[in-house]
Amino acid sequence: MSVIKNAELVPAPARRSFATLFSNVSRWRVPLSILALCILPWVLPSQALAVNVLIYGLVAVGYNLLFGYTGLLSFGHAAFFGAGAYATGIAIGAFGIHWFIAMLIGVLVSGLLATVMGVLAIRTRGIYFSMVTLALAQLVYYAALQASSWTGGENGLRGFTVSTLHLPGFSVNFLDPLVKYYAIMIVVAAALWFVSRVLNSPFGAVIEAIRENETRARACGYDVERTKLLSFILSGILCGLAGTLSAMHISIVPLDSLHYHTSGLIVMMTLLGGAGSFFGPFIGALAFLSMEDIFSLWTSNWQLIVGVIFILFVLYLPKGIWGTLISWGKSR
Amino acid sequence: MTNGIEKLALRPIGRRAALIGLAGVAGTLSMPWIARAQAETIRIGFPTPLTGPFAAEANDQVRSAQLAVKLANDKGGIAGRKVELLVRDDKLNAGEAATRTLELIEKDKVHAVVGALSSAVQLAVNEVTRARNMLYISISQSDTINETKDFSPYTFHEALNPTMTTAVVAKHSFKKGSKVAYLVADYAYGHEMLRGFRRAAKEIGAQTVSEILHPFGAADYSTFIPTILASGADILCICNFGRDQANSIKQAVDFGVKDQMKIVVPVLLHNQRLAVDPEVFEGVTGGANYYWGLEETVPSAKAFNDAFRAMYKGTIPTDYGAYGYTGVASLLMAIEKAGGTEPQKVIAALEALKYDIAKGEQSYRKCDHQSMQSVLVLESKAKSAMKSDADLFKIVAAEPASESVLRTCSELGFKS
Repeated sequence: MSVIKNAELVPAPARRSFATLFSNVSRWRVPLSILALCILPWVLPSQALAVNVLIYGLVAVGYNLLFGYTGLLSFGHAAFFGAGAYATGIAIGAFGIHWFIAMLIGVLVSGLLATVMGVLAIRTRGIYFSMVTLALAQLVYYAALQASSWTGGENGLRGFTVSTLHLPGFSVNFLDPLVKYYAIMIVVAAALWFVSRVLNSPFGAVIEAIRENETRARACGYDVERTKLLSFILSGILCGLAGTLSAMHISIVPLDSLHYHTSGLIVMMTLLGGAGSFFGPFIGALAFLSMEDIFSLWTSNWQLIVGVIFILFVLYLPKGIWGTLISWGKSR
Repeated sequence: MTNGIEKLALRPIGRRAALIGLAGVAGTLSMPWIARAQAETIRIGFPTPLTGPFAAEANDQVRSAQLAVKLANDKGGIAGRKVELLVRDDKLNAGEAATRTLELIEKDKVHAVVGALSSAVQLAVNEVTRARNMLYISISQSDTINETKDFSPYTFHEALNPTMTTAVVAKHSFKKGSKVAYLVADYAYGHEMLRGFRRAAKEIGAQTVSEILHPFGAADYSTFIPTILASGADILCICNFGRDQANSIKQAVDFGVKDQMKIVVPVLLHNQRLAVDPEVFEGVTGGANYYWGLEETVPSAKAFNDAFRAMYKGTIPTDYGAYGYTGVASLLMAIEKAGGTEPQKVIAALEALKYDIAKGEQSYRKCDHQSMQSVLVLESKAKSAMKSDADLFKIVAAEPASESVLRTCSELGFKS
């Protein structure tokens, strides 16, 4: 009712400008997100939080590729996040490998793991797909718990702090919070550009077609299984990349990073921000982490507040923060 | 509505208003500089799991730590500076603790960190502080933190460690020829305690008849108990922490374990004993870093209890709570001796420090920075023997501070 009334009040050219605004936002989505990321450490309470937003934002964006765009609900993405982190940490700590190569190893290992898990899980669909991914991820968790001579077991992996980033020609102090933020931001920005390209490519159209109607996509001649697998692997690699960044950031790999709680967290952030949109997952990660950070400073009952807010979102804004904004903008 | 805002925005600003405004802004901006010139507050970061299964112990730690800070401020501060405690919830999650510690160091510019209540979490905090040359007093049981791989010259370990706890508990409860069955929580705490007991049992000549692992946070222990009863043991040693302790002992007692064997735990927890009836814990023996009943023999314990009672309406400090006090108070003593927060000077002061603030003489060993301190052996009282609701335990022994219960420096991998 009030929406209609407002729309009448707004003059016609303004109404049109809302639509153009939103189409412009999605056309310029990569530069816009990079711009937003540049100012992030200055508006959030701390740089450590800002780095976490980068990392979990990337995880959620990677996860969204599978969940939001391909329509597959995985409950095992912590496995890729953790595998990337562990592989990087072990490469630096146990073998003394250069951080850049170690990060590549981390991405590679999570990619391999995603291939194996993907081949096994893609055969199932719906709730069975979620269960299989969850089970496989738990397998990885217990493997890491048992292989304590490599992973540090319960105590987590330690002893691989990178304090200086050696680059060809120069080196930077990675312990400085701002330097660390912008170094990690460059990687995340590159990953965002990559995701944007993937979504704009014919492949991006195909995965959305599979999400909308799998049978029709198959009838159109697309190889649904291979496309799903490819989407699964890409999504795993992006989460793995975020894992390697997390290892570099907090200089430990907690066993919890493989736990199904982490998988749940990823789903929650994606839903909060809005699945199936480019900015949504990042905004979800930002909102979730900031809420946790700010409320836990106020009161030790912060979980209650976050819980209530989450329930309100599920009830009244099921499309998530960004999803709701988009549909609101389009209705203008 | 919009009209009102427009009016407000369009109202011309007078010259006086502008001047007053400018002066106000300038004043606010220069405030931090004036405050800094007065001598900077000593800020101590305190990450601890305020939410999660160890919340009761964590809240006790916070209360005791706040007492140490209050006492320091009441006598005029440390080296002429006020002290402030910045408590953060680490959610019993190592990654969260690392982020919180980074925040404390980078944003809040703390001078030292004290805290954490789990082996994994304290090792995570240790990793962050060691890379940034930040003082850290860890206050949770761990053997790993003593070893060379995780050693940091900036880290001091105020809590007991599993080796010393189990050595003392075994000395007073195992005998030559005792048959011991172990029920162990399957994570770092349980494993380290088991390793310590095995080592002590070997020296004493006690025999292991059964070792059973249970998952962390298990609610049902009934499947393990028949095996324990069939093992023919005369001691059941239960190595777990928090709620697991009360749950496992309660179920063991329900199955009649106490008729056949004595129950021994590495650390007898004040809060867990309070969570169940006295009959359940009656006769259970275990170690502790602190028990308020120490006040009958130790003057510093009396002083600590009295100060605690005065601040918290007659309540008493608990075992894990006392770590918060001794951790913060020993750090503040060293800062006072060093005349400031310059890390190298504080480290030298901590290494040389002899302190008796709650439980008798304590000092930090030079090689691994482990606090050498008394270890108590407690026995849970029968309901009829309790003089008050807080009169929970009998002190069986108070083993004085000694290096003999620790692993030697060379055993830990330190070069002498």
